[in-house]
Amino acid sequence: MKLVARALLWLGGLMAPALAAAPPITAELSTDRVEISTGFTGASVLVFGATQNPLGGDPPEDLIVVATGPTQGVVVRRKITVLGIWLNGPATRFPDVPGFYALAATRRVWEILPEDERRQYRLGFDNLRLRSEGNRSPAFRAALLELKQADARWQEYAAPVSRAGERLFSARIAFPATVQTGDYQIEVLLARENRVIARQELSLRVERVGTAADIASLARGQPLLYGVLCIVLAVLAGWLGSVLFRRN
Amino acid sequence: MQVYLPIAEMSVDALLLLGIGFGVGWLSGLFGVGGGFLLTPLLMLIGIPPAVAVASGANQTLGASISGLIAQWRRGNVDWRMGLTLFAGGLLGSALGVQIFALLKRWGQVDVAVSLFYVVILGVVGALMVRESITALLRRRRGAAPRRKLHEHTWLHGLPFKLRFRDSRLYISVIPPLAIGFGIGMLSAIMGVGGGFMLVPAMIYILGMPTSIVIGTSLFQVVFVSANVTLLQAWQVGSVDIVLTMLLLAGGVAGAQFGAAMGTKLRGEETRALLGLLVLSVAFARAWNLLQTPSRAFTLGPLP
Repeated sequence: MKLVARALLWLGGLMAPALAAAPPITAELSTDRVEISTGFTGASVLVFGATQNPLGGDPPEDLIVVATGPTQGVVVRRKITVLGIWLNGPATRFPDVPGFYALAATRRVWEILPEDERRQYRLGFDNLRLRSEGNRSPAFRAALLELKQADARWQEYAAPVSRAGERLFSARIAFPATVQTGDYQIEVLLARENRVIARQELSLRVERVGTAADIASLARGQPLLYGVLCIVLAVLAGWLGSVLFRRN
Repeated sequence: MQVYLPIAEMSVDALLLLGIGFGVGWLSGLFGVGGGFLLTPLLMLIGIPPAVAVASGANQTLGASISGLIAQWRRGNVDWRMGLTLFAGGLLGSALGVQIFALLKRWGQVDVAVSLFYVVILGVVGALMVRESITALLRRRRGAAPRRKLHEHTWLHGLPFKLRFRDSRLYISVIPPLAIGFGIGMLSAIMGVGGGFMLVPAMIYILGMPTSIVIGTSLFQVVFVSANVTLLQAWQVGSVDIVLTMLLLAGGVAGAQFGAAMGTKLRGEETRALLGLLVLSVAFARAWNLLQTPSRAFTLGPLP
């Protein structure tokens, strides 16, 4: 009896510091590379992990997953009509917007966190810092949000953070076929009582592989050589066609 | 079957591209033109960025015209001297055209400008073709033999720097062919077309070349100008998508053979009337695109 008690004590002693040091969340990605090959039609990456405390306990804990792609410069143009013809008119430039942005959470973020926290972690379209130049009309920002969502490059609650059991969670991030290459950051946040209590940052690389990569890098790196190659290939294809289909 | 286009940075159904290539190839075989004026708008319609559509269209035109050029050259229907003169103009014209295109891209007006060029050029050329072929058809019905002078002298023949074009049986100034080559070279760089449908009438009606030699010589110009446009677009704009070009060509070379077989069954005037109507309908479709209220009031583009 005494021995059991001592063993328990020893075990407890062993586990206590481990428990204290255990991170509140542990998250991982199903892959850290998305490869764009010739047959690429989009990809989906799973973010999964476990929390130390049971989710939805008291006080409730919530999970937020944010994926952000490399920044890009875009320009939003308003169509105007001149003499009945529709032209691209006034424009607003957004020099550094995320090329990709996806937010998933166990609840709506405004139910989880106050505004300053949401702004700090850029949670939700309203809290993205979108610096603009040119026309100041807010319609351009609204149009940017709408167009980015239309081709699935920006997503808000497109997929849920789903729970399994008390501590396991997962969320799926869908990348469309038009996804940019580059480094992506995926942030997993754990929130309790109106503040973020833990965060883990994961990274993901989207890159072209195989023929698609070779072609793109040749076209960028040695455009003149690439141009000559395009001419030679087109001539060969045309000549081959005339040989194959020659009617005697 | 989806295929990823590395320069357009999007994936497209490969069968759709083969089908478009085949259809355009069939029509171009039927009418003896490159078919770029049909291809480029179709590519834009399926969502290929205008810059890539124009550049890859020029590349496709090159491949599609080369077999025709080989065939015509074997029959001795190419006036090399005239072809080179036209090409000299075309070289300058297409270089300027690519610069204009790059400028339009910076201004964000590529789609509108390309559409406007299509409406104006195709509208005028199509209308002229239809009118000319209807007149010819009516004249044949009346049975009256057309009275046309063998050689008409206009102010064009008063220009200096005369050169003898033996295969075309012409002794004219080099200025008109240079100017024609220049104009069409510029348009082909902006519109992504070879320009055969503009060049053929220009050679017959402005230069007065014999019809037998016109097709081969225009193909000569089209092949070299589209090669030049391909090179310049790849080099300066970076918008030639070789995967797109090859898929279109694979469908196109097959389609062209069927079209050519059918074309031999049609009369010259009928073919020209049909081609004219086709050119006009593309012009109308583009015009409709420009005039109709867009479904979205805003567009999104990369920062130039």
